[in-house]
Amino acid sequence: MNNEAQTEEIPDSTRDLDIEHDRKLMIEDLDLWYGDKQALYGVSLPIAKNSVTALIGPSGCGKSTLLRMMNRMNDLIPICHYDGKITMDDVEITGKDADLVEIRKKVGMVFQRPNPFPKSIYDNVGYGVKLHFKPTREELDKIVEKSLKRAAIWKEVSDRQHELGTALSGGQQQRLCIARTIAIEPDVILMDEPCSALDPIATAAIEELILELKKDFTVVIVTHSMSQAARVSDYTGFMYLGRLVEFDKTDKIFSDPDNELTKRYITGRFG
Amino acid sequence: MKDIDLLQKKNRKLRDFAETMGSSGLAFTGLIGLFFLSILVWQIAAPTFIDGENGEIPPANEFITESDYELEWDYPNIDSSGELTTDPIVLEISWDDGDEVHELQINVISQRDVYEDIYLNESGLSTEIVEVGRKTKFHIYSTLPQSVEVKQKSGPVPSADETGKPLVSTFVIEYDVAVLYDEGIVFEPLEILGYGTLIFLVVTFRFPKPSMLRFIQKFTGKERQLKGLFYALALVTIIAGNYSLASILAALCWILSATMSTSLTKGIERLLHSGRELSETSRLKHSISNRDGLLMWSNMLLVISTLFIPLEIYIPFLTERYQDIFSPYSSGIRAAFYGTIWVMLIAMISAIPISVGAAIYLEEYANPTKTTKLIQALVTNLAGVPSIVFGMFGLAIFVKQGGIGWGLGPSILAAGLTMGVMAMPIIVLASQEALRSVPRSIRESAYGVGCTQWQVTKDHVLPSAMPGIMTGSILAMSRIMGEAAPLVVVGATAMIVFDPEPLAGLVGGNVNFTVIPIQIYFWTSEPDPAWHSMAAAASISLIALLVAMNSIAIVLRQHFRRRLN
Repeated sequence: MNNEAQTEEIPDSTRDLDIEHDRKLMIEDLDLWYGDKQALYGVSLPIAKNSVTALIGPSGCGKSTLLRMMNRMNDLIPICHYDGKITMDDVEITGKDADLVEIRKKVGMVFQRPNPFPKSIYDNVGYGVKLHFKPTREELDKIVEKSLKRAAIWKEVSDRQHELGTALSGGQQQRLCIARTIAIEPDVILMDEPCSALDPIATAAIEELILELKKDFTVVIVTHSMSQAARVSDYTGFMYLGRLVEFDKTDKIFSDPDNELTKRYITGRFG
Repeated sequence: MKDIDLLQKKNRKLRDFAETMGSSGLAFTGLIGLFFLSILVWQIAAPTFIDGENGEIPPANEFITESDYELEWDYPNIDSSGELTTDPIVLEISWDDGDEVHELQINVISQRDVYEDIYLNESGLSTEIVEVGRKTKFHIYSTLPQSVEVKQKSGPVPSADETGKPLVSTFVIEYDVAVLYDEGIVFEPLEILGYGTLIFLVVTFRFPKPSMLRFIQKFTGKERQLKGLFYALALVTIIAGNYSLASILAALCWILSATMSTSLTKGIERLLHSGRELSETSRLKHSISNRDGLLMWSNMLLVISTLFIPLEIYIPFLTERYQDIFSPYSSGIRAAFYGTIWVMLIAMISAIPISVGAAIYLEEYANPTKTTKLIQALVTNLAGVPSIVFGMFGLAIFVKQGGIGWGLGPSILAAGLTMGVMAMPIIVLASQEALRSVPRSIRESAYGVGCTQWQVTKDHVLPSAMPGIMTGSILAMSRIMGEAAPLVVVGATAMIVFDPEPLAGLVGGNVNFTVIPIQIYFWTSEPDPAWHSMAAAASISLIALLVAMNSIAIVLRQHFRRRLN
């Protein structure tokens, strides 16, 4: 496949989208390398406020890498370096002197595999709050209860908050991780294939939750499931081999994509 | 029938035979092991419980060294014709809280160096009247397993003036005979109550019954008072018990009971708050915060208390010090046991924080430069250095005065630090391994909620690595516990008749000490075979100590591991 040709075909795929005025994050011309290997090639992408943006694409196309750039999680990998700019509310977050703690507080993340802390359910949710704010016991109780309710897990755990978070089922653990993330009231929630380790029922619960969370947060989700992207997202970006091939409203991408590659991918006639 | 069938049959028989032999052989070796073990256990038990070994082993209460005190009068109270020149000197000697009262008349003659020793035993005094010379010491020996009170009833005091007139009209000599004998179990009622409370709480935690919960529920809202009460009881227990080991352990029981009762009442409150009944006891475990941790600590405390009961009961082998070379069966490992415990404690305190810190630095913070790689290689090699080399190191640095030496002398402090240095590389390597095996997901999730690197390390990585770090540390401690070679170099002595002083090297005092391996080594080189069985018994004690420590390691590891998945 001729990559050069493909990139030329997408001039600026975001130009027609009317999200200039309420965009939350703006990624501009991002290149990223793992050592010598380039993983992202000039990706530019706006993320609209209070919306769900889905990133789809085959494995190894750089979706997760792009997502992990948005809260600078890639800084944990020593061999990773990048070039380009990401702004949140028009403030650059990719600068050398950016406050990583502040960024990660504002941009929360839910991981592919549920990874609650090996602490009690209560402490899992309360930990981040205790870290950034100094709540009293009563305030913390309220925040924990509210977060668990918003993550739609309160009913199942209300009477066993002091049990270990790791003792819950997979789906419950993932919702606990979401509760942990929203407890510190971030602006953006990044979800890296949050349902890939879950069964269909748990997946449905999480998807319902994502639609609910949209009201208060900006959500960016990486997913392998085309149908999931279609169900939950407002905007969809299709990535291939480190490039953003097409970005548009979800309806448009799934009904009438501009790019031939996108069309082939979403219809499953790929490669 | 074909030939092959015959062959097969034979083979099967052979196989069955080998199977039987193999399994019974294994069982046999196991039995031999058990046999040896029981012989060794017998070696410990025999001197304590059984009469044997060429005649009599005296019962425990006759092991006490005779306690004596001495008196001397400066001037005679009897003249050459045998007439008293003063009131008769009469001592009243009493024991059994005044039930047994005996009088002893002492006649002091002008001749010197005439004396007769007085013996006290259950049947009374060896004599009623004794004649002693002036300025001559005479002794009263007691073989009673208790305090004896001695009062002077009449006559001039030892420091009367020349005319024999007492300087004061009445006076009392009270002398407590040192008791080297414990009267069986000496648990105070408060201590037993402390243990009982903790056991009750543990049982309630583990198998909650609605009736128990209803009882505990009465204290809801009064947690603070309850806690205060328990803390006060802890203080009273420890003071009333005269800071003995049992009282300290019991005080810890009270303190733990305070925490457990508070979290239990809070848990009950939470259970009812979430709309459930007290009878739904199976839900209770989910509403008590840190239930597993509390249970683990209290179980461990109870087990340790149980382990120390032998020290509260009189078992000469454990509670006696090394007496002298002629009394093997009344000697014990007490001094060596305390020496071992102190050396280990000091090694632990000095080695674990430094080693874990170094491991965290190397694993979490340091960039892989040439220097850190070199350090890593050095640490790895250090773990394999022979222990005697560490002994020489300890001798040069900690024992010797002047130059680079700290001048601690051949003391417990120097030995503990030497052992600590020896344990360090082992702990560093084990901790590094443990830190490396903490899953990335835990770090990522912690960074994801906005932790700094130190917060990630302290709150998430370290707790997750805890089982590994603790296992490594305790294994290192077990290794140094059995190590004799470096301590021979540092200067552990063979024969200690007193409890060692841990800080003697720093603050002055008697620096001598010994540890169990060294004691074993010297006992095996004695000619009297009785000492050899003592050495065997001491090695069993060492193994028991090791097993106890490893069990603690296993319990801790299980607890922390269960938290992880």
